[in-house]
Amino acid sequence: MSTMECNEFMEQLGPWMEGERHGSARAHVQSCPECRSFVTDLEAIQAAAPTLSIADPEPPARVWAVLRNQLVDEGVIREQSGIDWQRDRPRFAGLFTRVPRPALAGAYLTLLVLLGFGLTAPVMQQTQPAPTFALAAELDHAEQTTVSSFDSSKSPVSADLHENLEIVDHYIALCEKSVREEPGNDVAREYLYQAYQQKADLLSMITERGDSNQ
Amino acid sequence: MQLPGQLTHRSYGCVLTGSVARVRRTEPGEMPEAEAIRLAQQGDAAAFERLYRLHSRRVYSLCLRMVSNVAEAEDLTQEAFLQLFRKIATFRGESAFSTWLHRLAVNVVLMKLRKKSGNEMSLEQVTEPDEEAGGPRRDFGAPDLTLAGSIDRVNLQRAVEQLPPGYKTVFVLHDVQGYEHNEIAEIMGCSIGNSKSQLHKARVRLRELLHEAVRAKAREERKAAGTASGSSGED
Repeated sequence: MSTMECNEFMEQLGPWMEGERHGSARAHVQSCPECRSFVTDLEAIQAAAPTLSIADPEPPARVWAVLRNQLVDEGVIREQSGIDWQRDRPRFAGLFTRVPRPALAGAYLTLLVLLGFGLTAPVMQQTQPAPTFALAAELDHAEQTTVSSFDSSKSPVSADLHENLEIVDHYIALCEKSVREEPGNDVAREYLYQAYQQKADLLSMITERGDSNQ
Repeated sequence: MQLPGQLTHRSYGCVLTGSVARVRRTEPGEMPEAEAIRLAQQGDAAAFERLYRLHSRRVYSLCLRMVSNVAEAEDLTQEAFLQLFRKIATFRGESAFSTWLHRLAVNVVLMKLRKKSGNEMSLEQVTEPDEEAGGPRRDFGAPDLTLAGSIDRVNLQRAVEQLPPGYKTVFVLHDVQGYEHNEIAEIMGCSIGNSKSQLHKARVRLRELLHEAVRAKAREERKAAGTASGSSGED
């Protein structure tokens, strides 16, 4: 069997790696340490590549939150509930795409942790809405702090943000009313949680906007 | 027989078939992908979220690997899913759902890279021009150094980041995410032969980059050893 030269083998290397291993190429690899080393390297790269995906992260939760709002606003997602949530929910998703990505400040994270705790609290607490609604007080405090600092920055989106805060407050009020009327309704609680979360997101954006304008 | 939308997955160490093989495993009681697609086509909110949860990690990883920037990868992931969900009513299952989604994601990423570079780039243009014409370069005369044992996730990831976008896309889709060449051809809008060629060139380029990294590390170690022996000689 005639053996091939190194440059001939290099031209066959692509097909070789795809499993096309003809006799003359096999003979060359066996007899040429340099080409064998080349093949070994490519096989090692191929074998190591899948390990790159082992620690692939999930995208942050905000990616879905923003996407969902956008899809609801466009009417692609249709919400299903006794209440017309799509009509009543705050329509400030467009704002999420206009303002910079929120840098999650410590206060914002604290709020989200509190909100998460409120959502996952035992069902027993559902008959006592006060602990959940106490979170609203935390949000109100955060709102007073962030909005006052933001007003001083005279940002061009200030009016938009204020308008959206009013909308989200109105939405929260609707959700709170529903939870008061039906403390055991998980859907209503979920919407209240989302409403609080949206307000926290909005306040976070205001904070960041204020910071970036300073 | 292979059904439309059901493609064979080349996995590593186990045999998996179907598009679900590439996504997070469906646990008992969870909505299957086909059902989620059907319900999403009717606007069902839970179905959209289900599809997002099934595929978001892979799409985000692809974007992150392509742009090496977390904020940009988030935006690109969002944009790919937005385009997908806007068009979901038109999905008829001619190709696997994940292939369709990845085609959108790759297009979104390449569009972003084109905008960044300020000019139009075809698949060929996003590779390295000096390797377009010929086969792989070989370091004839270089020391017979093999990479065996010196490839780890960190240095391989670093090398992948340095690949041109075209090579990187095919390498990530094939060698990292496990897509077949026929699927990559569909995702990237190129021929199967082109996909194979890009992959081979990507691996050869990675070999060069990894060898450079190994040599640089060896130089640093020699330098450090020299410094240390110099210091001890002064004592």
